Amino acid sequence: MSVKHGLLALLERGPMYGYQLRAAFEASTGGTWPLNIGQVYTTLSRLERDDLVRPLPENDTGQRPYEITEQGHAELAKWFSSPVSRADRPRDELAIKLALAMTTPGVDVRAVVQTQRTAAVRTLQEYTRLKTKADDLPWLLVLDNMIFQAEAEVRWLDHCEASLARYEAPEPVVTDTEIEVPR
Amino acid sequence: MTVLELRDVHRTHGSGETVVHALRGITLVVHPHELVAVMGPSGSGKSTLLNLAGGLDSPTRGEVVVDGTVLGECNRKALAALRRRRIGYVFQDLNLLPSLTAAENVALPLDLDGVRHSRTQALDALHEVDLDGYGDRFPDEMSGGQQQRVAIARALIGERRLVLADEPTGALDSQTGEAVLRLLRSKVDAGAAGVLVTHDARHAAWADRVIFLRDGIVIDTSGPLDQPEELLHAP
Ligand SMILES: Nc1ncnc2c1ncn2[C@@H]1O[C@H](COP(=O)(O)OP(=O)(O)O)[C@@H](O)[C@H]1O
Ligand SMILES: [Mg+2]
Repeated sequence: MSVKHGLLALLERGPMYGYQLRAAFEASTGGTWPLNIGQVYTTLSRLERDDLVRPLPENDTGQRPYEITEQGHAELAKWFSSPVSRADRPRDELAIKLALAMTTPGVDVRAVVQTQRTAAVRTLQEYTRLKTKADDLPWLLVLDNMIFQAEAEVRWLDHCEASLARYEAPEPVVTDTEIEVPR
Repeated sequence: MTVLELRDVHRTHGSGETVVHALRGITLVVHPHELVAVMGPSGSGKSTLLNLAGGLDSPTRGEVVVDGTVLGECNRKALAALRRRRIGYVFQDLNLLPSLTAAENVALPLDLDGVRHSRTQALDALHEVDLDGYGDRFPDEMSGGQQQRVAIARALIGERRLVLADEPTGALDSQTGEAVLRLLRSKVDAGAAGVLVTHDARHAAWADRVIFLRDGIVIDTSGPLDQPEELLHAP
């Protein structure tokens, strides 16, 4: 996601100045996405250049609030109505790392898998701890998103490990425990 | 103070060519207020570990200590009493008795001990798992999620010091599964010790510590170690 659309969404609530935007942005991502004030101002000036926001007169304390324009409103509506494209996300370093681990001599692939799994589970524990303290639904859902992604990573690692085990075994022996399925 | 201690526990099935080493030297300490999750591939020894911790099976070598009692030194009667009073079990197959109502199922461990007012306590326990008004239903009149909550209420009733759960969320949808985890977590937060076997990382994440089993040994841990000084002597 872009900071651009994040700020537009916040301005849809009403005019805000730089520090307010930063605080509101961080509050809506539970502090997991820190934003520096410089980023807020660069983004605002780009939004202003594209006529998506416009500056209002300075207030008594010398802060200049911004408000969203008609065009900004339309851009925001478009953003909400389009799916987030997978192609916009960076390639997964972990998948590449594991593929390389398998083809690099002397690398213990199972250890690579386990190291990653422990790290992912630790991350999950931290998110879950945050979740027990959270009571605001938008933030809970952001947390759940991170939890589901970390869980998907663990499931993929389990899948890798199972595939590796089959791959290494010359003569697979079927025992009753191997066909145990989650009920 | 510890509630559960496994001291270099081994469990072997069969002998000779067909020998299976289900557990090969497990050392584990679980304190009050602590929930430990056990993860690992199928056949890695998770259920064996839980059965040993609950006195449902005995180790081939090593010791299991629950609430200060070495299980191997107990006679059958003492072991049965310990299991009934101090240990709560939640297993995948619920083991609810079909001919008893929800309240009767929950009250069963207390009734076996001759505790008075067991029904009142059972109804309180059903309230805890959000099953007010279900006391007089039979298991086959309830959904899978509701039956699982009855099983949890039965596992948590009385003064259980140790709660053991083997894939307790198995067939439940994600919301109900999470509710089960919250219940387990709150019992542990109230002072019990818990061991949870699961293949679901999201559920394991409710634990303070996650241990990873493979081929009957602990290969990794996420969370505080039993002996943090071990880190200093790492090979
Ligand atoms: N009664 C038994 N007789 C022989 N082998 C057994 C018995 N119970 C368990 N095992 C074996 O011990 C190993 C560990 O089993 P288990 O603890 O059930 O694993 P998990 O719960 O992790 O799937 C498996 O290889 C299993 O086949
Ligand atoms: Mg099992």
